[in-house]
Amino acid sequence: MPAKYMIHTQTAPNRFKPFTKSGIIAWTEGCLGCRACVKKQCVYRVYINRGLDTKQMIDSIDNQCMNCLRCVQGCPMELIHKSINPEYAALGDSHWTPDIIAQLWDQAETGKIPVSGSGYSGPFSGPGFDSMWTDMSEIVRPTRDGIHGREYISTGIDLGGTPRHLTFTDSGDLESDQALLVNIPLPIILRIPFFGSCGKDIIKGWAMAARGLGTFLALPNEMIKGELVDFKENLIPIISPGQHCSGDGLEGVRLVEVPWEKNCKDISQKIKQAHPSVLISCRTPLVRGVEERVLSIVDSGVSIVCLEGSSWGQSMDDNSIFLKDIIRSIHLALVENGMRDEVTILASGGLAMAEHVAKSIICGADGVVIDFPILIALECRMCGRCTKGLPCPVEIDQAEPSWVASRVINLLGAWHNQLLEVMGAMGIRDVRRLRGEAGRAIFFEDLDRNTFGSLGKIGEGYELE
Amino acid sequence: MSEEKKLTLGLFYCQHTPESSELDRQSLEEKYGKSIRLFPVPCSGRIEPIHFLRALEELTDVAYVITCPEGECQYFEGNLWAKKRVQRTKEIIESIGLGGDRIGIVMNSKENPRSLAVLADEIMENIIHLKPSPVLNPYR
Ligand code: SF4
Ligand code: SF4
Repeated sequence: MPAKYMIHTQTAPNRFKPFTKSGIIAWTEGCLGCRACVKKQCVYRVYINRGLDTKQMIDSIDNQCMNCLRCVQGCPMELIHKSINPEYAALGDSHWTPDIIAQLWDQAETGKIPVSGSGYSGPFSGPGFDSMWTDMSEIVRPTRDGIHGREYISTGIDLGGTPRHLTFTDSGDLESDQALLVNIPLPIILRIPFFGSCGKDIIKGWAMAARGLGTFLALPNEMIKGELVDFKENLIPIISPGQHCSGDGLEGVRLVEVPWEKNCKDISQKIKQAHPSVLISCRTPLVRGVEERVLSIVDSGVSIVCLEGSSWGQSMDDNSIFLKDIIRSIHLALVENGMRDEVTILASGGLAMAEHVAKSIICGADGVVIDFPILIALECRMCGRCTKGLPCPVEIDQAEPSWVASRVINLLGAWHNQLLEVMGAMGIRDVRRLRGEAGRAIFFEDLDRNTFGSLGKIGEGYELE
Repeated sequence: MSEEKKLTLGLFYCQHTPESSELDRQSLEEKYGKSIRLFPVPCSGRIEPIHFLRALEELTDVAYVITCPEGECQYFEGNLWAKKRVQRTKEIIESIGLGGDRIGIVMNSKENPRSLAVLADEIMENIIHLKPSPVLNPYR
């Protein structure tokens, strides 16, 4: 049995004060000057240790407050209020929500699983992955050795396909080619996000993280130069659409990504001829009819297909179709055609939380490719200023490569632990066995249909009482 | 020859100011570049003299706050407190000979509510005659 895969995390402090969800508004006007002022009674000494970060005008009372509301309720003159912090509410968008961003910051800083307190106060269902609930039946029977202890749960996956059958010579020797496989200990590959204020040092930091984690960083082929050449073994060069590639400069790489386009088969062939040991991954956008396209790609001998959804986890041409649904239908199409094991399916686009990794795999992917989380790990606020030529509010391009690497390793350390938690609770000991286990999850749409479908539709003009 | 330093404005604004979303804020940043620093606040009454004083020391040459119209504050009296605090801060900085017009407050009006962009333009117009602040930390 290979050594147990562990991600060693180490606190990597924020460079800027993170925005907090709420803020305190405390008037001094009207104060009675009570001897036992509620401000003195704050157990976290928030008012006593008050300070101001002038760079961002962040008041420490917002950052240190633990939201117990004791001071708000205790002031006899009701001079203390709590409010939503507008800077926090402005983070990201409807998919990359402020809560998701703040959780990613926290995981990148501490390397720990986010804990939001007792109970769950959010909605029980929502769009996309939020309409999936995983079976946690084994949570009542924890393993004797503990999932973070001696219990061996594998999160490793093989990239590449296995042949449909083996052929042997008359003398009994294996005739068919050996399957070309690359093993990664974590079903997560990093990809450079399509925007972000990231210079050479940031990319070097991401490459260091990919090496440290034993996985890959995918980035445009033309970026691999200078110091990055040393990291080739953990880099996936992405051939740009329309780019001519005969395989030059690909010495030392293990995997290449080619975009789906008319001549992608020719490019794959050329690369294969020049470097027989290089695996080819074909990236295809998720659009209507993608199932057929994936079947034809696999048929042509490509053994890794990377599905590319939108940054909001939807189909590229229809935002009512979510990543989870397309992964499911592609997985089933491959199973029905008896081709599932000939290909590794990687899902990407809008994957923002650790649970999205497990859920993508349950839907039928082998692994995932993440992009913006590795930028948000560096305190990115998803504000889009860098796309408009405005200065980055968190000066991401000034970050040191070693800090970048630690932040990403911390983030993936926290995600790895969450994956272990989910698999432990499901009683699954190998992430390869989680693939396509849709029977171990409940989908809200199915539940809704099965429960209320027979009642028919509500006619126009009627309302449920 | 060093370039002539541009006057900088630190602008705190109540989050209920019309048309003051993140995108509106970024449009203003595009328009004014480094001359403006914008800080949305949950309530204008949240700003205390210390915020203005530290802003003048570390951030910008001038600091202003935009409040809701009188009687419209979500927290009832926040904008009235903001007015008093601005007055108090003016007195403090005048006492050190800095000129009270480096601090200001603009109350939006109920009848004629103006957007963040319009208010920012008005403030910029108002302060254009001021000289760069002698107390602003040059190494900030
Ligand atoms: S809400 Fe609680 S933690 Fe926050 S300042 Fe008041 S007493 Fe302290
Ligand atoms: S914080 Fe804003 S400007 Fe900086 S990288 Fe992120 S999106 Fe770009």
